[in-house]
Amino acid sequence: MILVISLSVPLAAESALDYHFQKGNDAYLLEQYDEAIREYQIVLQNGQESAEIYYNLGNAYYKTGQLGRAILNYERAHRLRPKDENIAFNLRLANLRVRDRIDIPPEFFLFRWNRALVSALSVAGWARLLTLLIVLTCLLFALRQLLNLGILSRPARSVMLILGLAALLTLYPLLQRYAMTTNRDYGIILSDSSKSLAAPQEGSTELFIVHEGTKVQVLDQDNDWSKIELIDGKQGWIPSGDLEII
Amino acid sequence: MKARLCRLIIPIVLFSLGAGAADISISASVDRDAIALDEVLTYTVTIEGTRDFPDVPPPTSDGFVIISGPSQSSSIQIVNGAVSASKTIQWRLAPTRTGRQTIEPVEIKYRRKRYRTPAITVSVGDSRKQSSTPPATSSQGARSAPRASSKAVIQDGVFLRAEVPKTTIYKGEELTVSFNLYFQNVRNYAPQKMPDAKGFWTEAFPEKRNPTISTTVVDGVTYKKATLRRLALFPTTTGDLIIDPMEISCEVPVRRQRRRSVFDDFFDDPFFNDPFFGSTKTVHVRSEPVTIHVKELPAAGCPSDFSGAVGNFVIESQIDTLQTVQNQALTLRYTISGSGNINAIRLPSLNLPATVEVFEPKVDRKVNNQGKSIRGTVTFEYVLIPRSSGTLRIPALSFSYFDPAGARYRKVTASGYRVDVRAATVTDTGSRSGFNKEEISLLGSDIRFIMRDNPRWQPIGSSVFSRPWFWIFNLLALVVAGGSLAVRRWMDQMARDSLFARRRRALSRAQQTLKQAQEAFEQNEIGQLAGLLERAVAGFVADRLGLPSGGLGPQDVTQALQRARADAELVTTVGNFLRQLEEERFLPGQLNPESASEKLQQAREILSKLTKAI
Repeated sequence: MILVISLSVPLAAESALDYHFQKGNDAYLLEQYDEAIREYQIVLQNGQESAEIYYNLGNAYYKTGQLGRAILNYERAHRLRPKDENIAFNLRLANLRVRDRIDIPPEFFLFRWNRALVSALSVAGWARLLTLLIVLTCLLFALRQLLNLGILSRPARSVMLILGLAALLTLYPLLQRYAMTTNRDYGIILSDSSKSLAAPQEGSTELFIVHEGTKVQVLDQDNDWSKIELIDGKQGWIPSGDLEII
Repeated sequence: MKARLCRLIIPIVLFSLGAGAADISISASVDRDAIALDEVLTYTVTIEGTRDFPDVPPPTSDGFVIISGPSQSSSIQIVNGAVSASKTIQWRLAPTRTGRQTIEPVEIKYRRKRYRTPAITVSVGDSRKQSSTPPATSSQGARSAPRASSKAVIQDGVFLRAEVPKTTIYKGEELTVSFNLYFQNVRNYAPQKMPDAKGFWTEAFPEKRNPTISTTVVDGVTYKKATLRRLALFPTTTGDLIIDPMEISCEVPVRRQRRRSVFDDFFDDPFFNDPFFGSTKTVHVRSEPVTIHVKELPAAGCPSDFSGAVGNFVIESQIDTLQTVQNQALTLRYTISGSGNINAIRLPSLNLPATVEVFEPKVDRKVNNQGKSIRGTVTFEYVLIPRSSGTLRIPALSFSYFDPAGARYRKVTASGYRVDVRAATVTDTGSRSGFNKEEISLLGSDIRFIMRDNPRWQPIGSSVFSRPWFWIFNLLALVVAGGSLAVRRWMDQMARDSLFARRRRALSRAQQTLKQAQEAFEQNEIGQLAGLLERAVAGFVADRLGLPSGGLGPQDVTQALQRARADAELVTTVGNFLRQLEEERFLPGQLNPESASEKLQQAREILSKLTKAI
């Protein structure tokens, strides 16, 4: 019941969202990128999202030279739709312009494979797969229970077991992928450059500098300071205002 | 004199090592083989036998320094068609210490052969003693100025003093040394040896062409005083440092009517008064060496950024713009000016944020020696390139120096700046390396175009777990699976258990039989009715209770019902009903249509009661 309600509520506002989305697109076409950003932001302020709007917003920010915000929105779009080629391309292109070129230390191959596997599908993709497998397993189970399949009974049982096992195995990437998507551990540096300090207070030893657009992991937050870790493992504190969580 | 000179010449002929080359000879000589410490020696190298003279390197010696030279002269003689050429090169050397000092051989190369002069040894005596020979440069041999321990011995009414305002100073503190000539009558003077001071950074004040002359009284004698030279000395080390003497030669007129004085006694010699020697004579005078005690700067209160500047300074900062664009250079200038050891001034590090690229500063030192003390200006010009936009804070810069007058450290501060740096346009990616080929080609391309189709909106942060389809499909599948399992189990039980099956089917069979009875009643075949109704009820009980279906009498049925703990009233009802039907079966004709309908109704009621009971 609750599900049905939650599905029907946004329907009323949807036309307004589409209106602002298309207005933003029109402004983008006319190269009025600031106007486009404003329109897209209205949609997001309504609490609704989609890969498209993040992608378009990223494009508008990119065109106005706000690299950090562009990457932030591409990342958000990418999270919603990891297989989309356009999103991936623009994210990659924008990342090339980031000044920090951090050499990623080689990852243990199992971790790499694991990540590749988990990000092969979105949460919805994994969920669809899981649902499909469960439905098939259940149908096969029911079929076998109700009908005398005769000679087909044994192979059907094997297929059913395989499907069931696959469904169980799908749970793992689904949950991991869900954690990956919903975790608020990653952020994009938005300020042009941010000094990373050894302790969360002004005047502390300066460790390194991160520049706009760099993706960092947020390990800890202490008032106005965020403890970040770069992909190469360097850690430091920067003002929380210098970054935004993806 | 000339004979004496000739006696000293040591001619050396060097034989050529190679065959067929023209011979040259090289010789070296000194004008004296023994001199006093404060005298000057002339060292002469003569080359003969060629017209293309090779270069002669200056002589080297530990005990002498070259004070002038080389001066060269050459001559060519043609005697009976034979050409002989010679060249003499002269240096004037001053001894630096007493004892036997050796002038090292001079070696020349001529047509790929080497020629050497021998080493010459000169004995340098203490200047207090009379030197064995007068200098050759002077026609009138004047004695060198004796070196006195405290006061210069005044000869001919002329003496030179090195005067310092104090003899104990701090390291780096300025010390002004004046070389004052006290005289009564001097026509002319020529510096012979400039003062030297080891362990000091020396800055000379400009020399006036005609020194101002004042009058002073020294030891009751009136002298004229002229400052010949002023030096500013800045000690660079600590300890006792010596300011070496200055030496000059003056032309002093010779008086015929000599005034009697203690000092003049010595010279009151007919030799000097000889009218043959004209009206002037040359007198060498030198100042006394002065020992300066240099103290280390106090350690107490020494700022950490102190770099050794001693004196009195101010610092100023200057910036060319307060608004700039990212990656555009700006110039930051610090000017430290004042009096003191200008050359020791170092600027502390700027402490700029790391987002700024700082280049090595251009340092410009200007020393002004016109005033009473050495003043100067040091300019440090930094070029800064802000690499990021935003507000660039240039902190105030402090410069510490030691003030010797107050004997304490002082700090002066140049103001800092806030520079507003605007962001540069994004299109420039700079000349960054580290891209692979693919990335470089990617960099040249533009981003892909926006997506224009209306998207499917979803609440921010929602996930698949809040979608209905996920739960509906999965739960449905599980329900189907579970349901099928239940159905299967029921089917299994039906197949496995016939009693169970009979029990399950009892009611439907009874109803079927009742239906047949109803049909029989409607077709007025009342004779069949009793058998059908009996079958329905007894069959039902047999099916429900698992009794053999055939040949059940009313007695058997009531007993079975009692065993099944059915209600006693119901048992009686069933028993009576069955007995009536049995009578009807054996004695037909009792049933009329009315009672038959009643019996049907009765059977239905009994069945429904039985269904509940068993």
